Amino acid sequence: MTTINLSQPLDTAARPDNYITHTRGFMSWAFTLDHKRIGVMYLVSVLVSFFVGGVFALLVRTELLTPGQTIPGVTADVYNHFFTLHGAIMVFLVIIPSIPAALGNFIMPIMLGAKDVAFPRLNLFSYYLWIFGALFTVSSLLLGGFDTGWTFYTPYSTTTPAGGVIPALTGVFILGFSSIFTGLNFIVTVHKLRPPGMTWFRMPLFLWAIYATAIIQVLATPVLGITLLLLIVERAFNIGIFDPSMGGDPVLYQHFFWFYSHPAVYIMILPAMGIISELISVHAHRHIFGYKFIALSSIAIAIFSFLVWGHHMFISGQSPLLNTLFSLISFSVAIPSAVKVFNWMSTLYKGNIVLNTPMLYALAFLVLFTIGGLTGIHLATLNTDVHLHDTYFVVAHFHYVMMGSALIGMIGGLHHWWPKITGRMYNENLGRIGCITVFIGFNVTFFTQFFLGSQGMPRRYYDYQPEYQIYHVISTIGSYIMASGFLLTAYYLLASLFGGRLAPANPWGGRSLEWQCASPPPFDNFSTQPRVGDCYDFSAIRWDEKEQGYVVDRALDPTLNPNLAAKNSH
Amino acid sequence: MTTLQSQPNHAGDAHGADGAHDGAHGSAEHAKYPFLQHHFDTPHHQFDSAKLGMWLFLATEVLFFGGLFVAYAVLRNRFPEVFSYSSHYLDTIMGGINTCVLILSSLTMALAVRFAQTNRKTGLIICLILTFMGAIGFMVIKYFEYSHKIHDNLVWGTTFYVPPHDAAGELEAKELSVAPTTSITLNPVNPAVFAVPTLAPTPAVDASAIKQASRAPAGMATPTQMAKAEGLPTGEHDPSFAHPATHLVDKKMPANSHVFFAIYYAMTGLHGVHVLAGMVVIAWLLKRAIRGDFSSDYFTPVDVGGLYWHIVDLIWIFLFPLFYLIH
Amino acid sequence: MNIASTIFSNLLAGDPREGRTLWLPPQDSNLAVNSDLMFWWINIICYFFFIGIVIALVILVVKYRMKKDRPFRTDGPLHHLPLETTWAVVPLLIVIFIFYFGFRDYLNFMTPPKNSYEIAVTAQKWGWLFKYPNGATSDDLYVPTGRPVKLSMRSSDVLHCCYIPDFRVKKDLVPGRYSYLWFQTDDVTPEGWGHNLFCAEYCGTGHSNMNRKVYALAQPEFDAWLTAQSQWLDKIPEEELYFRAGPKLYARCQQCHSLDGTKGIGPSWKGLWARVSGGEGGDGKFVDGTGYQSQIGAGKQYQTPEDYIRSSILNPGEHVVAGYANAMPSFKGQLNDKGIDAVIGFMKHMDEFDTKGKYLKEVPPAPKVSMK
Repeated sequence: MTTINLSQPLDTAARPDNYITHTRGFMSWAFTLDHKRIGVMYLVSVLVSFFVGGVFALLVRTELLTPGQTIPGVTADVYNHFFTLHGAIMVFLVIIPSIPAALGNFIMPIMLGAKDVAFPRLNLFSYYLWIFGALFTVSSLLLGGFDTGWTFYTPYSTTTPAGGVIPALTGVFILGFSSIFTGLNFIVTVHKLRPPGMTWFRMPLFLWAIYATAIIQVLATPVLGITLLLLIVERAFNIGIFDPSMGGDPVLYQHFFWFYSHPAVYIMILPAMGIISELISVHAHRHIFGYKFIALSSIAIAIFSFLVWGHHMFISGQSPLLNTLFSLISFSVAIPSAVKVFNWMSTLYKGNIVLNTPMLYALAFLVLFTIGGLTGIHLATLNTDVHLHDTYFVVAHFHYVMMGSALIGMIGGLHHWWPKITGRMYNENLGRIGCITVFIGFNVTFFTQFFLGSQGMPRRYYDYQPEYQIYHVISTIGSYIMASGFLLTAYYLLASLFGGRLAPANPWGGRSLEWQCASPPPFDNFSTQPRVGDCYDFSAIRWDEKEQGYVVDRALDPTLNPNLAAKNSH
Repeated sequence: MTTLQSQPNHAGDAHGADGAHDGAHGSAEHAKYPFLQHHFDTPHHQFDSAKLGMWLFLATEVLFFGGLFVAYAVLRNRFPEVFSYSSHYLDTIMGGINTCVLILSSLTMALAVRFAQTNRKTGLIICLILTFMGAIGFMVIKYFEYSHKIHDNLVWGTTFYVPPHDAAGELEAKELSVAPTTSITLNPVNPAVFAVPTLAPTPAVDASAIKQASRAPAGMATPTQMAKAEGLPTGEHDPSFAHPATHLVDKKMPANSHVFFAIYYAMTGLHGVHVLAGMVVIAWLLKRAIRGDFSSDYFTPVDVGGLYWHIVDLIWIFLFPLFYLIH
Repeated sequence: MNIASTIFSNLLAGDPREGRTLWLPPQDSNLAVNSDLMFWWINIICYFFFIGIVIALVILVVKYRMKKDRPFRTDGPLHHLPLETTWAVVPLLIVIFIFYFGFRDYLNFMTPPKNSYEIAVTAQKWGWLFKYPNGATSDDLYVPTGRPVKLSMRSSDVLHCCYIPDFRVKKDLVPGRYSYLWFQTDDVTPEGWGHNLFCAEYCGTGHSNMNRKVYALAQPEFDAWLTAQSQWLDKIPEEELYFRAGPKLYARCQQCHSLDGTKGIGPSWKGLWARVSGGEGGDGKFVDGTGYQSQIGAGKQYQTPEDYIRSSILNPGEHVVAGYANAMPSFKGQLNDKGIDAVIGFMKHMDEFDTKGKYLKEVPPAPKVSMK
């Protein structure tokens, strides 16, 4: 990929031979090295896991409709397994891999104009590690389950009689390596497979986000690995590192665990922020505002995320000195994220906004991330955190950022790249209805929980004092609304595979390289060499009636029309 | 709007300016170098990427072990007397030999890379074999070290306090203040009653008592155990410690000494696992070398395999002084 | 289940106090005042930013909708250094302020006054024990008003957390070390009503059932209670122990031991006395395969059935009943001999209690002891 013949037009016509049809049969998928197929397999796996984790969530919420037992057969023990599984599945099987492994795998090489990621075999191996990790985690259900909470705090996790703890820990350990190898692959890809002309500051912001995420994946996840290994050994052999009667310290576990798990939440949110940069700029047809800041803030957030883990431990008996330091640094981590929100809003200013489904998801993200981020302030403040720690306030906060932001970002990205991945358009009206339903349901479910928490209701409670019931009922109703929104979304997306309009190469008018290949892409991504330019410059884009999609108007493209080349950017 | 730059972004790019059809020039390179994967432009491009990938993997290994180093630091800080005393129970000579063996094997590995780079297949094969033998030597010495200690119950957990050679099983775990754990049994008959392990979740005595109480000079061993340990027959051991259950009757041994051995086995054990993995890698490289896969054009696997082996060596170079040398 | 009617009856049966706001329970301790003030200020700032952002979004989305059939407008700015700097620096200053005030008040949380009244707290799965300086113990927390109270806390098994929402205090209880929290409350709790005390660190099956109450009494009443509490067991005549003290002590055991035959974490006490004293019900077995009767009796490990029960309370791991895990914590230091006698009596006279432990006969009027 060196010099480019600019006189040759882009060839983006849909072909019967694309990455889906190129080879057929189960084995051709099971042993594929094609990043697009691996991405699709991840996508299906992650969405199925999301459904399973969602079922556990609905069981939890339904059980909480009344104090005491609500669902016949669901005792406190069973309930404890429900919320543990909900958390473990959502964190380790869904949110952490979802954007990097499912969407990133598919889109990133194409965005780079490359033929694949740097290590395709490692990519497939990562996917198989995910499968093995998932199998171990599921097998734990058959061996007695685990009821430790997804955080596995000692000494409870090392002494609970539940029989599935070690299989679950092993499963998560394996999933950790899946994450590490994906991150490793992405870092090398971004460093080594950028095309000529795409300098670091010419990269789409989605790639900056994925890159920053990959740094965290590679550096933080090994610490989770060793933590889980120590837990397994402690549980099996009672070596005593976390057992006070043997000279160990239970709080040491918390330090180990959160050293990974705090950066992990940035693994979840950074890629979603990258997606939002793409969604807003493309669907407002407007150059992103403050590109450099957004790009560098992703790296800054990645680095700072390693310095704040102790804010999960303010009440654990950690020394006041450490508490103070962690509180202070946690506040400073919030600032880059806040500025990103202002930058995205400024991108809407003087834009050409289309309120289609991806844009609605991006707007939902802005609202929900604002709430999630702002409520982080209550928790980072030392004295208010004393009251709010381990209450439903925390539950609401992290659902706003993990689900309302990271997951919403992922689904927005899914809609944005759906035509590219599947070659089909989904029903736009249903898309909007689905988004709005999920948004309303989400807020009813989780905003209520802020009140529940600040009024004093602790989390992980099966039974509760009667005065909290009204909040729980409202929250549960919201969860049913949200579930119906997700079911509607699943329906119309699946329906589009069978009857949706065929997608043009560039349905939204994007300028990054993935819109310069056919939908779905051919086996080796591009039929003709894509052109690298400013991926947020929409001045040359126009709607083409014949293609029913956007194209680059050659007269307006400065890379093709030398008369325009002399024009400066603003 | 910025202008398009069309210079290549990587050095060492040997092909010409004609990029009219990526396929044409691409397939020429790819035809010439069968090992060149389709998404890389040149062998150098592929080699660079592989090296970057391996360095990143090494970073993950450093962090993986880093957690254990932190645990070591925390425990050493809490129990300094345990660490300075218990390290006497390790055999410095064996550890020193292991260190030399690993360093030499790193040398032979580096030589192997050099031989691969300079097309000297015989030298490559010999050096790989020597490296492999070094690894075996390391594991053999480690086997002797471990078996010696396990023989004496110088192990992790509460087993530390059970005298060895207790074939009669008289000194049951029950005698201890904390019931030891050995296995986890499942309850397949009625999974609804969740599996009942033989773990004792809470000790018979209030476990929250701030631990330093030892009911015998040597930590958590009971007087009965010590008395019985006194009467057990001797075996062949390090002559400076003439008694098999030395640590149980050693009046100078501080309380909580099991902690030292726990972290010792964790770290050296994990390191040993990595040595075994390294042996698999070297064996695979050997197979490919014999098959003639490597040349001055393509020696990437040897190079990155060598990098892995070097870090395995490097980790041992940190472990050795921390456990064997500093008192 | 009729959810609607339970909701309303629960609401009505709720809190008799005033002062509860939309966000927070009534302020019932000195620490609550500043904590709430901080919470309120943070909320104000959050409302400001959130409403501002939402309004801005609405305006932007409406004003800059794409106009059909017209080329895209391309005059949007790419950056604006003064603006970007402002909206980075101003929030940074705001959060630094918030951090500072939070930190300052937090130091207050962490510094109990020297003259604090100290109460020892032990948590275990799944209950609390509060021990007072004169040796009295209680399952609920009684505190004097008008002076600082310090809780010195430890756990016997896993992590727990002492959380009193109305006082805005919370601290983890970690096995192997002591932790503390302090507060001062000035309002006497209404008759028959107490503040909630929750466990806020997940600890297993009974995590949500570890709730206890905090009763705040004026100093004279508190002193009276304290005296009575330290003597309550001693003052009970031997023959009345089982029905006066038994049910109250059983409250600590009921998480794991039922009275109606239901198998829980521990064996049910129904028919227990008959089993251990060799009566009807047959011979039970321990996990090591030996039967009850081989261990209980003259010349055996437990001379009498009372001996066995006593050992089970103080050293439960010694002989675990077959089919159960070794999960019972020891009550050494928490139950004195009289307490154990009361429990044994309760077991002997199980037929005089209902399945919830309530005495079925009429309790004669208590002599001088007042118990809550």
